Amino acid sequence: MRYSGLLLIPLAWGHVLIQDVLVGVDRIDLNYVSMRWAYLGWRAYDLFLLVFALAHGINGLRQVVLDFLSTRKNIRWLNQTLLALWLVLVLAGIAALVGGVRKP
Amino acid sequence: MNVKATMTNLVKYRGLEGQWSFILHRLTGLGVLAFLIFHVLDTSTVFFFPSLYADAIGLYRTVPFMIGEIFLVFSVIYHGVNGARIAILDLYLVKNWEIKFQRNSVLWTLVIAIVLWLPAAFVMGRNVLEKLGI
Repeated sequence: MRYSGLLLIPLAWGHVLIQDVLVGVDRIDLNYVSMRWAYLGWRAYDLFLLVFALAHGINGLRQVVLDFLSTRKNIRWLNQTLLALWLVLVLAGIAALVGGVRKP
Repeated sequence: MNVKATMTNLVKYRGLEGQWSFILHRLTGLGVLAFLIFHVLDTSTVFFFPSLYADAIGLYRTVPFMIGEIFLVFSVIYHGVNGARIAILDLYLVKNWEIKFQRNSVLWTLVIAIVLWLPAAFVMGRNVLEKLGI
């Protein structure tokens, strides 16, 4: 958690600074995303951010919920549920990053 | 020990700064995760359902979401600064452990987070006011 967290400080802060503060949500649309993803570097940036943020966040959620669970059965259920959630989200994100923006 | 004394001790749990930073760290983390899950799904519509992307972004452009976004930015900054504090103090400065320094570091974390957040909050708040026509 510490190493992924330290890595996420530049990644997540950079993302928030660029998209929310400098660009602003009013200028973000399909064209903007396809323009950004035209650069392989930005796709790689987003891939790192996606993978590390989701792993860090869902592991964090696991730690929080573990504080309230005690039986082995509940803990196994929690681990499997969060693993499934993590897989769905990471695969959806990677599919979008690799597939890119499609014309509506 | 009777029930009353036990209950009083529970209520009087004296966690002080450490407890508050723990609570704030968890709340900001869970808040950012909630947004992250939603945000991964809405961004993946550019590939799966491109026609829905404008609707998702339209939601982010509403005033309540823009205000929520300002708090989201605070959460990301605070969680990062506090996480860095924990990592640095616990990985590299363990030898200098001292209760007063630990307590002070919690307050410094909050100060640094607010100082980093204010410029972003100013720019984003100005965008909200513009949207409201003020």
